[in-house]
Amino acid sequence: MSSSEPSHIRNFSIIAHIDHGKSTIADRILELTHTVADRDMVEQVLDSMDIERERGITIKAQAVRVLYTADDGQTYQLNLIDTPGHVDFTYEVSRSLQACEGVLLVVDAAQGVEAQTVANAMMAINAELEVIPVINKIDLPAADPERVRLEIEEGLAIPADNAVLVSGKTGEGVRDALEAVIARIQPPAGDAEAPLKALIFDSYFDLYRGVVALIRVIDGSVRKGLRIRMMATNTVTDVEEVGVRRPANTPVDSLGVGEVGYLITGLKDPALVKVGDTVTLAKQGAAKPLPGYREVKPMVFTGLYPIDGDQYPDLRDALEKLSLNDPALVYEAESSHALGFGYRVGFLGLLHMEVIKERLEREFDLELLATAPSVEYHVYANDGEQVIVHSPQDMPDPGKIERIEEPYLKATVLVPPDYVGAVMELAEGKRGTFKDMQYLSATTVEIHYEIPLSELIMDFFDQLKSRTRGYASLDYEYIGYKASRLVKLDILLAGKPVDALSVIVHRDKAYYRGRAITEKLREIIPRQMFEVPIQAAIGGKILARETVRAKRKDVLAKCYGGDVTRKRKLLERQKAGKKRMKSVGNVEIPQEAFMAILKVDE
Amino acid sequence: MDTDVAEHFCWAVDESVVNWSCVGALDDVLSVYIGGGTPTILGEGLRAMIDGLRTRAGLDDTIELTVETNPDTTDALAASRLTESGVNRFSLGVQSFDDRVLASLGRRHDGARARRALADLIATESRVSVDLMCGVPGQDCASWLQTLECAIDSGVGHVSVYPLTVEGSTPLAARIAEKPGDAPDSDLAAEMMEIAQEMLEEAGFEHYEIANYARAGEESVHNCGYWTGRPFLGIGPSAASMIPASEFSAWVSRECWDKPGVAGVGRTIEPAPVGAVRVRFRRSADTEDFLRNPVGPPVNVEYATAYQAAAEDAILGLRLTEGIDEDLADAAGASATLGELASRGLVEHEGGRWKISQAGWLIGNEVFGAVWNAAVRRGLA
Repeated sequence: MSSSEPSHIRNFSIIAHIDHGKSTIADRILELTHTVADRDMVEQVLDSMDIERERGITIKAQAVRVLYTADDGQTYQLNLIDTPGHVDFTYEVSRSLQACEGVLLVVDAAQGVEAQTVANAMMAINAELEVIPVINKIDLPAADPERVRLEIEEGLAIPADNAVLVSGKTGEGVRDALEAVIARIQPPAGDAEAPLKALIFDSYFDLYRGVVALIRVIDGSVRKGLRIRMMATNTVTDVEEVGVRRPANTPVDSLGVGEVGYLITGLKDPALVKVGDTVTLAKQGAAKPLPGYREVKPMVFTGLYPIDGDQYPDLRDALEKLSLNDPALVYEAESSHALGFGYRVGFLGLLHMEVIKERLEREFDLELLATAPSVEYHVYANDGEQVIVHSPQDMPDPGKIERIEEPYLKATVLVPPDYVGAVMELAEGKRGTFKDMQYLSATTVEIHYEIPLSELIMDFFDQLKSRTRGYASLDYEYIGYKASRLVKLDILLAGKPVDALSVIVHRDKAYYRGRAITEKLREIIPRQMFEVPIQAAIGGKILARETVRAKRKDVLAKCYGGDVTRKRKLLERQKAGKKRMKSVGNVEIPQEAFMAILKVDE
Repeated sequence: MDTDVAEHFCWAVDESVVNWSCVGALDDVLSVYIGGGTPTILGEGLRAMIDGLRTRAGLDDTIELTVETNPDTTDALAASRLTESGVNRFSLGVQSFDDRVLASLGRRHDGARARRALADLIATESRVSVDLMCGVPGQDCASWLQTLECAIDSGVGHVSVYPLTVEGSTPLAARIAEKPGDAPDSDLAAEMMEIAQEMLEEAGFEHYEIANYARAGEESVHNCGYWTGRPFLGIGPSAASMIPASEFSAWVSRECWDKPGVAGVGRTIEPAPVGAVRVRFRRSADTEDFLRNPVGPPVNVEYATAYQAAAEDAILGLRLTEGIDEDLADAAGASATLGELASRGLVEHEGGRWKISQAGWLIGNEVFGAVWNAAVRRGLA
């Protein structure tokens, strides 16, 4: 396929709140442009992971080139860059947006503007992109495009009189959306004569080809054989192949100004090919990289332990493999008295964590136990030394601590006015500090809170949804570290501290949390052969105590002829049940105990 | 019961008996147990059934022949007629002598009726056992003590004590789903089982198996067979059998069920796999199946190697107060595990035998599970 003149290229992204129909619209575009043969058409074509399809989410960015013959009779090269929709992947989204000149901002015709609609729209506006509002799902009985149009104009300050009305389900209006792309989004501007400058907006690992980078050429061009440099990592290498994705990789001779495609160099180390980095010529390359590059930093940490200790090497291999495709995934070996050998794994956020855990279990057949997620604490010792703590286990002795700082977020909640009180009550209970509030429209209020990340990764989102009957939507951004009065709350079973059950909590909530956790554990831990005291303590001071009473009776009393098979099956079932338990000392703890300490009712 | 159905049922049992006897399977019968709750509802058919069985198996009066019965279908006349037919032991489903407890269990009889039925059975001079139930919603310790005293005072020679268990789709399960407060209290049931043990032992009963108490010589010969690996044949809807593998293909041979128009015709029976010493199976899946073809092809066939059979016998034998001998424990590969359980006080090792301890009997599943899983682990190794 030949490259096109920039005047006939449009690069755009589709952005939306989760479930507003982004992937369905992408599917319709691929169909309409005959990019994917009918027989190969599946739902969510661009989401190739099972988990993406099942959950209806996009985790990896994707780029696909489609050729569209417009109403003016001319054929245009459209590069659709599909981005992850979730706040965990904000940085990836921002890089993808930098590869575009415009976006389709998809809003559900019934749900209206939600928190991620606002966040994504702001990101696009800040990146100086053309924003084309698209009101989707107009086929729904509850669709109210006029109301949504108002919400977009009032809430986002984006003109919406010419919003495109679309049904991703029926395909109605999709052509109008593509016409709007051509008419309203600027063709890419760049200097074909200048040295190569291309943005890496995503990458993935191919077993045979090594790292494959998805790039957008800003200036110059890139072709096979060219010697190039990745500016942030200062890596020099040769181009083995360039091509475009339709959506399968299709090699081309070169990629010119404004074009989007892939680049293979033969590099095997994903750490050298970073999202946001700039590709230029090895010699006489661009003087300055593209702005906006940053190192991806994990925000949420959890201990992952194989239930069966023999699977520890398999877990290591699996993490290694997944991290090839996911530079944001970091891990280091960790050991726990209670759980044995495992890894402390860092994630971009909670969704990222859930997805990775699920993939490890599903794709690598591992049975994992996850400890309560934690954040990165900055602990300042009395002697001025700073310690980074990712796990409660690593918290220094309280006597040596001068202060502890924890990461804070600015949380944005969009909610109908009736639920403002419920949201405020929740946020305040989670140590949130109210910042401001405004009406986006008569039906939507935007509330801002500053809130510790550690509170958000508890059950904040679940609580928010349940207290607002599912109406609230949430977005957040990281704002930095602040000092908090934090303590490590230890949990003791049968008198011995179980390291994997420790949590870091605010001092004022420690007593309450200690009681809630011990009560919860009493419900979860089955009765054993002996009495099991459960205690919550700070340092040596016991805050709460519960007891799991000893098991008094566990016997199949009636056991005659035909009962023998039943008895055997009962014993085997009991054994299978025990396999799902973790033995700590001589106490059998169900896996859910390690997560349940998060889900204590407030 | 419908007379036609009763007749049909008796015919089916007779067919089975004929079938088993013609292959020689009834040559060495040590005990007969006619159970299933209330076989007495078969009326006269039951006596005919017993007559047929005694003739075909050549049973004499020394063979234990138990009939299970309920207070509401038992009276002096019926009891004496059964003893005339050769029944020499009754197992009476009393459950309780307390009207409130019986109502809670949804039983048709009351305490007075239970006392009368028990007296009628004892008057026949047969051996008599009563089933008693503890841990029933609404039952307290006072009620339980009275029931135990009543049983002891009746002069009965054998008592079985069961805690109430809630089975899948019973009226009780439905009631508990609605009113969780009505669920049996496991701790209270445990306490009642201990009370029963204390009182019955005090009264001269031996606690010879987890649920069973007997005065000297009153132990159930039949039930002891289940716990000591003695082969048994079950006749009736989905009744379980266990026989030596060496007899299986000879006894359950094709000719015996190969009748025109009957399910399973033309199917041949797989010979037992090499190494199998024991077979557990059924010859019908349900009542309908049994009535259609009482000697149908075997279903739910499970083979056991000598090693597996030893493991089965070990976990069953440990239910008995006499426990198991060291050779059986070794054969089941359970000696090390038993040693470990002994160190936790759950079993005792004396006189060349392993026995469950006073601390262990109410949590027997821990012991049986450990022994069984040790055997399974070694079996796989």
